[in-house]
Amino acid sequence: MDATQSVPGARFVDPKILGRIGTLEILARTVVEGFINGLHRAPFFGASIDFAEHRGYVVGDDIRRVDWRLYARTDRYYVKQYEADTNTNLTVLFDISRSMQFQSRGIPKIEYACYLAACVTYLAQKQRDRVGIITFDNDIVTHVPPSAKHFNVVLHTLDRAKGDRPGNLTAPLAKMAEHFKRRGILVLISDFYEEPDAILDAIKPLKFLGNDLIVFHVLDPAEIDFGYDDASTFEDLESGEQLPVVPQSLGEEYRALMKAHIDALTTKFSEHRIDYTLLNTGEPLDRALFSYLSSRERLMRVR
Amino acid sequence: MQFLTPAFFVGLGAIAIPVLVHLIQREKKRVVAFPSLMFVRRIPYQSVRRRRIRHWFLLFMRAAAIALIVLAFARPFTQPGAAAPAAGAAGARDVVIVLDQSASMGYGDHFEKAKDAAKKIVRGLGNEDRATLVLFAKNAEENMRATSDRARLEGAVNAAKVTSGATRYGPALKLADSILSRSPLKRREAVLISDFQKTGWSGSEDAHFPDGTSLTTVSVASDGTSNASLPSVSFGRTNFSGQERITLTAGISNKSEAKLADVPVTLTVEGHDIETLRTSVLPQSSSSVTFKEFTLSGANVRGSVKAGDDPMPADNTFTFVLSPSEPVSILVVDSGGGRGAGAPGVNDDNSLFLSKALSIGTTPQFQVDVVPASRFAPGSLDKRAVVIVNDTMFPPGAAGGALKRFVERGGGLLIVTGDHTTWPAAGTSGSPEADLLPGKLGGAIDRTDSPTGALGFLDYSHAVLEIFKAPRSGDFSAAHIYRYRALEPAAGDRVLARYDDGAVAAAERKVGNGRVIAWTSTLDDSFTDIGVKPIFLPLVHQLVRYLARYEQVRSWYTVGQVLDLSARAKNRNDRVIVAPSGARTTQQASKGSADGSLELNEQGVYEVRNTGANVGRPEALAVNLDPAESDLAAIDPRELVASVTGHATAESAEPTMAQEMTREEAEKRQSLWWYLLVAGVLLLGTETMISNHLSRKEKFL
Repeated sequence: MDATQSVPGARFVDPKILGRIGTLEILARTVVEGFINGLHRAPFFGASIDFAEHRGYVVGDDIRRVDWRLYARTDRYYVKQYEADTNTNLTVLFDISRSMQFQSRGIPKIEYACYLAACVTYLAQKQRDRVGIITFDNDIVTHVPPSAKHFNVVLHTLDRAKGDRPGNLTAPLAKMAEHFKRRGILVLISDFYEEPDAILDAIKPLKFLGNDLIVFHVLDPAEIDFGYDDASTFEDLESGEQLPVVPQSLGEEYRALMKAHIDALTTKFSEHRIDYTLLNTGEPLDRALFSYLSSRERLMRVR
Repeated sequence: MQFLTPAFFVGLGAIAIPVLVHLIQREKKRVVAFPSLMFVRRIPYQSVRRRRIRHWFLLFMRAAAIALIVLAFARPFTQPGAAAPAAGAAGARDVVIVLDQSASMGYGDHFEKAKDAAKKIVRGLGNEDRATLVLFAKNAEENMRATSDRARLEGAVNAAKVTSGATRYGPALKLADSILSRSPLKRREAVLISDFQKTGWSGSEDAHFPDGTSLTTVSVASDGTSNASLPSVSFGRTNFSGQERITLTAGISNKSEAKLADVPVTLTVEGHDIETLRTSVLPQSSSSVTFKEFTLSGANVRGSVKAGDDPMPADNTFTFVLSPSEPVSILVVDSGGGRGAGAPGVNDDNSLFLSKALSIGTTPQFQVDVVPASRFAPGSLDKRAVVIVNDTMFPPGAAGGALKRFVERGGGLLIVTGDHTTWPAAGTSGSPEADLLPGKLGGAIDRTDSPTGALGFLDYSHAVLEIFKAPRSGDFSAAHIYRYRALEPAAGDRVLARYDDGAVAAAERKVGNGRVIAWTSTLDDSFTDIGVKPIFLPLVHQLVRYLARYEQVRSWYTVGQVLDLSARAKNRNDRVIVAPSGARTTQQASKGSADGSLELNEQGVYEVRNTGANVGRPEALAVNLDPAESDLAAIDPRELVASVTGHATAESAEPTMAQEMTREEAEKRQSLWWYLLVAGVLLLGTETMISNHLSRKEKFL
């Protein structure tokens, strides 16, 4: 556990230990505060009220945002733009398809994803953001609209989340894209068993609305390293299809394909300015959060 | 190799088990839930891969182990070889391999086939069996004593060669019986390997195998044999300009069913081809050719006649040795001055019948000189073979002593008694030469009264009279005896003939090395009329031949004959005998006649050299095959077996499973299954170790 040792206070964030602690709220608080205390920084959304840039006035702009001082100097109308609103909507798009039930060692992916969602919503709630959640498999299952009062509802929704149906990204996400009318932060948690192009096609409509999209790719260690020894019949959790598999025969090829899949997602999400984080359920949750927040901070500086 | 329980071979089907395990073993039924097989489906995975055999040696080891175990359960046991008679019977065997090496086995590949058959028998011997190799032709010899050493036996068989001997089964079978009768083993078998020449078995051989001794035959005879041979030659001798000229006639025999046409017959003398004639011989018949005369240049001239070319070349050449004939020199001493005068001082009338009888004859020729007793001198005995004292007084003076010494040195003396015969009295006061006469001479006995005397008893066992033994071979009773001199033979003298009144007609005495025969009647017409009877001529010739120790010089001998060289020797030197094969043997004269015999075993020309004589050509002896060997007609081996064993047994080279195997024997022959089982188990163990190792290494199965 090099990661937990390198991050002070992260000894409590082993998902297996956390899983035994109890409610998600306590869990989220423990994770986040321990994490913040160890980090000594709170970069998340802190810069959202800062001035960002000027742009030319167009008809329809609120005249209250016209920078009159600049008008005095340049004799032109400019509108001041800020980085973000102080309060925003954070919606967790939670994939609860059957594949998320997978567990090789440690905890199931869906449970790990629940902890993650809880942590993120907790952080947002602490930021006075409105939090909501949409769970989906091959259709939307639960919809909790973003609200400052919906943190507990989100936690209840996460607690009830059971992956018992096959999943599909395209249809539910297309339906969601029609639903979102206001910009916000969308946190998509899934294992992304789709073709990268299909995934991107499904996600793009969300991005078009100006939403800030954060993607967490949750995978079990077995899905990454395919550490099976014995030849067995493998059953697809989504479709129920069974295949005889000799791990020694196709382990290398599987790992190569999985790496190519992850690389493709990384590349494509990066091209579309989507934050992408791969999470291994065998690793501590704080390390995932740290990794995410670090990259988030780095990107904000660039911007 | 046979199997006690061949039904177990059904188990060989189990070999398919590892193959099926390899080919159709399915993945384990454990189902592993996996989020998505999206990537797995993309991999070009071939389930056939599982069906491909990757470790062939493992599969082979499994299959071999199963096969070995199945084989072990089938209980294999060894079966004796086909050429090993009764190898499967109980107990160790004593086998006598009787291998024919007579000259007839030289026909084509008969002897090679016979040796192969013998070697096959040797190889079929068990570890506790033993075998004896008997080689035979005319005689049989125990070539290799009973041994279990198969390598030695095979070596002895390989070393065996065809000899020039004739075929005789009797001695070989008797020897085999003798060997087997001494054997401590209970199973006794003789295997006779031969071409079964009919001439070798007369049916009267006293060879009988006791019960319990089996005789198996292996015949190498061929059908449709073709063989030309030269059984004999004859010589005609004529004198021309003081030299002998020889006319040679050769007989050619055809022992096949096909006509021999235009066969070249070549006469070779001293290595030079003299003449080649051509002749044709009808099937199963013979023909002869006569060559033109050739001059005999000296003694021991070697020659040969060669005819035909067939698979048996040994009998296509006939060798001979020729020497000029030597006359027997005879001195006739008579009273002289008889009827009719010849040359002055010489009167041969008294010996007319004798001299006339001896002037006839070519084998041998007789050289007769007649001298009166009064003029008989010691010098006249030189180079004489026989002296005939024909009705006259004993030579007076020194001549008498010389005559005695002549006889003692080996000369022959024929004393013909009549009215003029006087002989010194024997005894202390008498002449020492008196004992030359075999007996005491008495007065004349007159038998003119009717009936006249006749020869009543003849000792046909004596060499002189032997030729008259057969019926109608000489009628002595036809001769009338009118007078004879009484003779009282001493003890030790041998009476050859007696008159019908019991008086001695002829008696013999050995004096020194010489022979003396007294004929008590005359050999003319004064005492008897035998001189005009047909018996007279052969009788006189026989008497002289015997006394002269004459032996006809033979131009050839037959293989197997035994010669007494000491009797032929003209001196007392050691002899070196060089056989046709080049083998040398030395006969020491000091050992006497016991060492002087020579058995002629090889075809060709023997040389006899006297160590002291370094002039002249060595004596040569031509030896030819027994003509019977050229007749390749075969008898039915079953006939021979039936005659020897006393019950009809089929001729067969197949093993005779005479008795049931003992339990120990059977168990021993089946013990192979243990080894197979252990080998199979070991193989399985090894396979398990290797496959486990590979399994751990590959984590595959």
